[in-house]
Amino acid sequence: MPAQDVTPITEHSYVPLSAGATVSQYDDVWLVIPAYNEGQVIADVVEGARKTFPNIVVVDDGSTDDSAEHIATTGAHLVRHPVNLGQGAALQTGLKYALAQPGARYFATFDADGQHQTKDVETMVGVLRRDEADVVLGSRFIEQNGQVPWIKQVVLRTAAAVSPTARKLKLTDAHNGLRVLSRKAAEQLNITMNGMAHASELVGFLAGSDLRVTEVPVDILYTEYSRSKGQSLINGVNIIFDISLRERGRR
Amino acid sequence: MKYFWIQLVLIVGSVSMALVFIRTWSQAKNRAWKRIAFSLFVVVNVYAVLRPTDVTWLAHQLGVGRGTDLVLYVMVLAMGFLTLNTFLRFRSLEKKITDLARTVAINEGMRHNDERLSTEPGAEAAVTADADSDSVKA
Repeated sequence: MPAQDVTPITEHSYVPLSAGATVSQYDDVWLVIPAYNEGQVIADVVEGARKTFPNIVVVDDGSTDDSAEHIATTGAHLVRHPVNLGQGAALQTGLKYALAQPGARYFATFDADGQHQTKDVETMVGVLRRDEADVVLGSRFIEQNGQVPWIKQVVLRTAAAVSPTARKLKLTDAHNGLRVLSRKAAEQLNITMNGMAHASELVGFLAGSDLRVTEVPVDILYTEYSRSKGQSLINGVNIIFDISLRERGRR
Repeated sequence: MKYFWIQLVLIVGSVSMALVFIRTWSQAKNRAWKRIAFSLFVVVNVYAVLRPTDVTWLAHQLGVGRGTDLVLYVMVLAMGFLTLNTFLRFRSLEKKITDLARTVAINEGMRHNDERLSTEPGAEAAVTADADSDSVKA
C-alpha cells in the first residue's frame, strides 16, 4: 500500500476517500461540520453522513483532544484552526472553504455531536433544488416528536418569540444548528460573532436580506453525549450580552 | 504646607503618566481626541492637587458635597469609558486574529487535503482490497 506509507493511519472510511470520485446525487452539496473536542464521536458522525453526502468539510476549532487525528481517518476534508475561535468562526471558515470547492452549490451546517440526521438534510436540499427558497432552516418545533426536553422547549420558544428578527421571518426555532444555504446565500453570509451568538446573528442577517427563508421540521437526537456537550441554558445570558454589545459597537 | 507630601506624590504620578503617554505617542497616531482628553486630564489633575479648595467649590456649584466626591464620580465615568474602549479594542483585535487564523487554516487545509484525499486513483486500487471486506459488512 504505497499511499499508506505517507499517512500511516488506518483508514476509517467505508466510502471511497476522494470526494469528487464518487458519483452521487449529492455531489453539489457540502456539509460543514464545526468540531471542538469531539474526538469520541466525530469519526462515526462523519462517516455516517458520508454515506449520503460525499463532500464534507470538518473544521477542527483548535481542539485540545485527538479530534484532528480522528477526522484524518475519515474521508472528510479537514481544516484546522490554529487556535480555538468559537463555533461561529468555525462555521464561517467551513463555508469559505466549501465555497472555494468546484461544483459546490448547496451548503449545509451540521453538528459534530451526531444530533442531526442526514435524511433531514436531504429533505432540506430538496426544497432548495425545487427553488422554493434560498435558505432552509431546521426547526425542532414544527412537528413535535417529543424529543426536546420541556425546559429547553420553553426557553428556545421564548427566544424565538422575543427576537424581533425571528418574528419577522416567522421562525419557530432560531437556534437550530441544522441549516442548508444556497450558493447565493452562503456567499453573502459573513459570520462575525465567533462564539455562540452566531445563530442570532445569522437570523438577523437573513431578516435583513432579500433571501427567501423557510423552515423544515427536523428530528434531533438528544443522546447522552449531545446532552453533555450541548449548550447549557445559562449560556443564553452570554448570547444576549454578545448580541447587545455588538449593536453598540456598530454605532 | 500640610498637603505638601500628598501633593508631591500626586504630581509626580501625573507627570510620569504624561511621560509614559508621550513615549507611546506614535502608537496611537489617529486618536487625536483621546490625546487631547488625556492632556486635559493631566492639567486638571495637577491643578486639582495644587488647589483642592477649587474642586470643592466646583462640587458645591454642581450640588455635590465634597470635591473628593466629584473626583470619584468623574473617575467612575472615566472607568466606564475605558472599559468600553478596551472592549472595542479587543473586539477589533479578535476580528484580526480570526481573519488571520481562518486564512492560515484554509491554506493549510487545501494543501493537506489535496495530498490526503486526491491521490485517489493510486490509493483506490490499494484500498479496494480493504474496501471489499468493508463492503461485506455494509
